[in-house]
Amino acid sequence: MTVLSAARGRGHADTAARRRTWITRPGTYLVILFVLAITLVPMLYLILSGFRTTGQLGSNPNGLPHPWVWSNYASILESAVFWQAVLNSAIIAVVATALAMVLGSMAAFALSRYTFRGRDGLFLLFTAGLLFPLNTAALPLFLMLQKIGMNDNLFGVALPEAAFSLPVTIVILRPFMRAIPGELEDAATVDGATRIRFFVRILLPLSRPALITVGILAFVTSWNTYLLPLIVLSTPSHFTLPLAVAMFQSQYSTDTARVFAYTALSMLPALSIFVFAQRYLVGGLVGAIRG
Amino acid sequence: MARAESTQDRGAARLAAGPEIISGPAAAGAPPKQRSARRKRIELAILLGPPLILFIGFVFVPMIFAIWYSLYNWNGYGPLSDFIGLQNYQGVVTGSVFHQALLHNIIIAVLSVVIQLPISIGLALLLNRRMRGQTALRLAVFTPYVLSQATTAVMWSMLLSHGGPVDSLLKSVGLAALIHFWLASTSLVLYTLFFVVTWQFIGFGIVLLLAGLQGIPPELREAAAIDGASSWQITRRIMLPLLGPTIRIWIFLAVIGSLQLFDIVWIMTLGGPANASQTMLTYLYFNGAERTQFGYGATVSVVLFIISFVFALAYQRYALRRDTAGALTRAVG
Amino acid sequence: MRRSPKPVIVAIAVTAAAATIAACSSSSSGTSAGSSSSTSSSAGGQVTLSWWNNATADPLKGVWVSAITAFQTAHPNVTIQNVPHQNEFFKTNMPIALKSNNPPDIYQQWGGGAEATQIQSGKLADLTQYVSGWIGTLGKAAAGWQVNGKQYGVPYDQHVVGFWYRKDLFAKAGITTPPTTIPELESDNAKLKAHGIAPIGLGGQAQWPDAFWWEYFAVRECSTSVIQQGMTASNMSAPCFSKATKDLTAFLATNPFEPGFNAVAAQSSPTSSAGMLANGKVAMELQGDWEPGEAKGDTTDKSIDSKLGWFAFPAVPGGQGDPSSVLGGGDGWSCTTGAAEPACAQFLQYIDSTEVQKQLVTQASIGLPANPAAESAITSPAVKAAAQAHDTAAYVAVYFDQALPTNPGLALDAAIANFFAGKGSNSAIINSVSSSSGH
Repeated sequence: MTVLSAARGRGHADTAARRRTWITRPGTYLVILFVLAITLVPMLYLILSGFRTTGQLGSNPNGLPHPWVWSNYASILESAVFWQAVLNSAIIAVVATALAMVLGSMAAFALSRYTFRGRDGLFLLFTAGLLFPLNTAALPLFLMLQKIGMNDNLFGVALPEAAFSLPVTIVILRPFMRAIPGELEDAATVDGATRIRFFVRILLPLSRPALITVGILAFVTSWNTYLLPLIVLSTPSHFTLPLAVAMFQSQYSTDTARVFAYTALSMLPALSIFVFAQRYLVGGLVGAIRG
Repeated sequence: MARAESTQDRGAARLAAGPEIISGPAAAGAPPKQRSARRKRIELAILLGPPLILFIGFVFVPMIFAIWYSLYNWNGYGPLSDFIGLQNYQGVVTGSVFHQALLHNIIIAVLSVVIQLPISIGLALLLNRRMRGQTALRLAVFTPYVLSQATTAVMWSMLLSHGGPVDSLLKSVGLAALIHFWLASTSLVLYTLFFVVTWQFIGFGIVLLLAGLQGIPPELREAAAIDGASSWQITRRIMLPLLGPTIRIWIFLAVIGSLQLFDIVWIMTLGGPANASQTMLTYLYFNGAERTQFGYGATVSVVLFIISFVFALAYQRYALRRDTAGALTRAVG
Repeated sequence: MRRSPKPVIVAIAVTAAAATIAACSSSSSGTSAGSSSSTSSSAGGQVTLSWWNNATADPLKGVWVSAITAFQTAHPNVTIQNVPHQNEFFKTNMPIALKSNNPPDIYQQWGGGAEATQIQSGKLADLTQYVSGWIGTLGKAAAGWQVNGKQYGVPYDQHVVGFWYRKDLFAKAGITTPPTTIPELESDNAKLKAHGIAPIGLGGQAQWPDAFWWEYFAVRECSTSVIQQGMTASNMSAPCFSKATKDLTAFLATNPFEPGFNAVAAQSSPTSSAGMLANGKVAMELQGDWEPGEAKGDTTDKSIDSKLGWFAFPAVPGGQGDPSSVLGGGDGWSCTTGAAEPACAQFLQYIDSTEVQKQLVTQASIGLPANPAAESAITSPAVKAAAQAHDTAAYVAVYFDQALPTNPGLALDAAIANFFAGKGSNSAIINSVSSSSGH
């Protein structure tokens, strides 16, 4: 009994379909509107607050900028510290993401399509890393990094970040890689390709949506990581964006408006990556076979 | 080319049989044929070596250290000299505040699955449709996830302050009766935080589920629609089962994430008022790091690890077994 | 699909390589084992001192930078590296930093029991011999930075906790003079409420503002020696401490604070209790001398400074503590053992010199300088009143979470905050400092 025959469909599929979409469309738009409101209105609050002073935020938390203050955004965009921090964050995020994606897909491939003793145990080992948050590893990690001389080094941040991203990457990639039909691999073998070749030339392109996903997640995670750079980096010129926000905070007060402006700007690179990458969330198996 | 077509034919046949029947020999279980065992070992070494080295070096080794610290009473200064064995563990396991924290984490985890998951699935299905402004919509929904947890916490603290923007909004639309002490009330604060966490992490779910949806060929939906299936039936009988493995990953990551909830809670409430929003990690941070009881903090992290591990084991065994045995997301063309 | 994965992988590899080169070159100045300090040599040679302070923002940052410049001019063989860190950093990262091979030469800390804990690292330098010549000029401020009679730290400012109030709102409610006893305070609160003004602001979310209240009641109820013993022994079993809880309970029953105080931040946010005071949403707040500087930033009201007044914590009828005693603290520095101690001590002396101290008061809004000679630079009448109270106090009790070692100190804060939230008890407060991990 298939789904298709079990569906109690109406006879006049076409007109019914048209009627259905006509009815659901306002419903859909209502949902969309609601979702947009909930997600975007707070973001709007954040962005607009950057055009106010902290004093304005205190005097009238619910109001619009009055007057509009351009200096927050302007001074940030003009400051070398900001751009240096953008660069540092970018370097670390790119390295961490690239490492996580490359090494993660390698491990996921081995764990999904090879059989060998200890495979499940190894997967459990990687999963165990997921259960051990970065915060708790801070002190031993610092001592270790110091021993191997990676303190105050951008790599000293990127490598641990990549290592901590491996579990999530593998957990997500493994089922996706499993789903690629065995016939493709057999076909490749018959055509004379090694498994590694199959991995690089066929499996990876087919896993594109999953790869893009783990890439985005690794990038955003690295971009916003605060504790690890705080511990590892001590020279201000090495600071990442979350650390550089500290320049708007003194012991007793915070220039919240500035912080909001800073954060709004900090989001742009990560958002751009998402916009660019989400186009590649389409594709994968279907397109592959067709081609 | 010929090979691909025959694969396609075979796939099409399976399609017609319905998604419940789509399964097949596990890809990884395919017989090695001419692969020598030695070659396989080399390949595995190449594939697994570098990730393992990175992982063991930066994750596993610190973990071992943390376990080591947990056996000591140590304030971070001076050498590890005060060995107290399992005394720290006794303190954690019998501590009533820790019990509260654990309960809160469990509540958040359950709420995530019950509330966040349906919302994420619904939104993912919505955003999967080809429509005007698809990119912009996806961007909008994803944006909160990109915001750092620290800024999210500060922002929502201001929005939810007494008499602040949220309260004013409710008043202006005549819903003043709904105004509560969102963060000051010991009975409400945990749920307020859950709302903020949901707001932030919906984007994560969307990205993951969209990737999962990509594996489902549109022909499946079209064929069903032509046959007269309503969109709800299509969703329920085709999309959701095929999305199953992705959903199960989502649940796994969401529960683990709930157990590790820290940043947003710490900045918004410090686990208060009166431990009403304490999570295991805020408990760890306060008692371990701030109070410089690093041995005790390590103990909490080990206990948290054990709890997560038990869940992970059980989940792997009962929920994910199907996904690792055979491929249900196999979208055969 | 014809697209080959090769370009993608090549792109990743190239990016990684480029990033490697960039990372290596950008960190070449900061190679191995920490870059922010180098072993300093004494004996007349070139000396470099790394200085970790919490001045990440102006105006304090500017004052420190000009102090460095002036000092380096006067001492050409000394170079001082200014390394500001966020304040949070010092609370949680100092154990880590003091463990490293290259701890900072000079770093910020807050004296008291917390300093005593840090001494266990073995890395704090005993400056007694170097500062003996001038430390006396700081008066009683320096005492809180000694451990076992040895000077391990030197303060650069002092703090006193008292009531900052809105003179305009008091006038509106018909209050002509600030209260001097608790009953007077309670009746003033009633007057304010009658005029629709929330009497007292409290940043309950942060927990330590709650602690100020309990601790002040303790300072009023307990004699000086009982407090001192309690702090030294981490023991608050003396009955006057429990009396403080009783006083607090009675006071809380009058509902003096703004609604929802449990979730209000103390500072660093425009919606904090300091912000509320600045914008007239509450009439007073029990806070340290940093309050005016904090409040100024949270409002568009330019005249806020002139609207603020100060009065001391009122007397508690029947209390054994001197009514002039105050709760206070301070900021200061320690030198680490790897640093060139004579040069380090000289720099700390320079920071406490009258000229730098006056700069701190006038430019950086430091409430109370460590050096009494600089108090003449204070212009605000409210801050002057606070300084006066501090100088004439019979006893300056360091806030308990700083006087006690860090562990029991924070446990006390949490227990008091729980009490404020209605979920604590007197025994929980009293016992919080005795058990090693009160959970």
